[in-house]
Amino acid sequence: MNKFYLEIITPEKVFFRGEAESVNIPSIGGACTIMAGHQPMVFATEPGTIRITADGVTRDAFMSDGFIEVRPDETIAFAEAVEWPEDIDERRAEEARERAEEMVRRNRSAAEYQLNRLALQRAFARLRVKHGGKR
Amino acid sequence: MSDTAEIKHRIKSVGDTRQITKAMELISVAKMRKAIEKQAVNAAYFNSVRSTIKDIMRHSADIRHKYLMHRPNDRTAYIVIAGDKGMAGAFNHNVLSMAWEHMQAHPVHYVITVGQMARAFFESKHQAVDLEFTHAATNPTLHDARGITRDVLELYDRNLMDEVVVVFTRMHSMAVQKPEAVRLLPILEEDIPEEVRSTFTGEILYDPSPREVLNVLVPQYLVGMIYSVLIHSSASEHAARMLAMSSANKNADKMLEALNLEYNRSRQDAITTELLDLASGRSADGR
Repeated sequence: MNKFYLEIITPEKVFFRGEAESVNIPSIGGACTIMAGHQPMVFATEPGTIRITADGVTRDAFMSDGFIEVRPDETIAFAEAVEWPEDIDERRAEEARERAEEMVRRNRSAAEYQLNRLALQRAFARLRVKHGGKR
Repeated sequence: MSDTAEIKHRIKSVGDTRQITKAMELISVAKMRKAIEKQAVNAAYFNSVRSTIKDIMRHSADIRHKYLMHRPNDRTAYIVIAGDKGMAGAFNHNVLSMAWEHMQAHPVHYVITVGQMARAFFESKHQAVDLEFTHAATNPTLHDARGITRDVLELYDRNLMDEVVVVFTRMHSMAVQKPEAVRLLPILEEDIPEEVRSTFTGEILYDPSPREVLNVLVPQYLVGMIYSVLIHSSASEHAARMLAMSSANKNADKMLEALNLEYNRSRQDAITTELLDLASGRSADGR
């Protein structure tokens, strides 16, 4: 399979840098798979699972809301947090889920709802990745 | 002999102060190292996000978005980042006086401060502080950056200001830290010095739409920017404190040396006087 250069970076670390065969991303418009030779494009993503296939190995990771730029020479993904399943703190995610559910129930404005919804989405996505796709 | 005792007392107090400054220097060294590590990782993200934004702006000239357009007015909000503590040489003073100067040129403004020293400074200048973040200065986290971004964007969205400028201290090296004012919003191409890496031409597609992408991208960019300036500022603060403390140490050493010399001299003086007394007493006696 053709390969392309993929970089996934967060403000705190470089999560992935190297050749990849394909990457599936949680784009706002729906999940999407990028392969070598993809048209130049910018995707906005929502919190979810990013599936990276490199050297024939496919792995899932959690990715928070961010964006991905596909260019002819490389693909770069930016997010505040990207984590492998083993790095996800399950208890923290569970607590975050409970907190977010509570907040969603009593939000006061549309902007607040937006924030709480994203927080809830992040918590769910973390838990999903942690449990290997099953809930 | 009160002179000798007094000098002895001073030696002790200088010695005690030296111990404190020594400890502060060591702590600053450790903290600075940590902050520099964080900054090195963050720099990669920061530069990439900036060049990506510039790339997008260059390839899609017809994008209209509230975060990319300068509103006609001139209401400026300032985010001023200083330290929580003094004892860092001119670190706080430099960044605060630069912010102050900058503000004189813009009539209407909001002031958002990070760090105790910044708040205290504006209080003494009788400038109202609209928002303050006191915990984010010493050990910045992404969470702090997110909080600041959220509040700033809310003010901007409610059309209360037209421009957001952050004034902070950039860490150039261990010895050089310079205050800088950087415009955060609106994002204008000329403000981004980073060179765009790719050289392809043609339009970029946006999924789902340019507006939605920018709605996600701009807050992300701001969080990254603010996190990065917080880190720069804290690394600078620790570096400045380290320098200040090491010169304080040197100074204390010099003072101790001088005091010790004086102490020995005065002790010797006392002995000599006593000997002279004895000798003259004996020569008067034993005739």
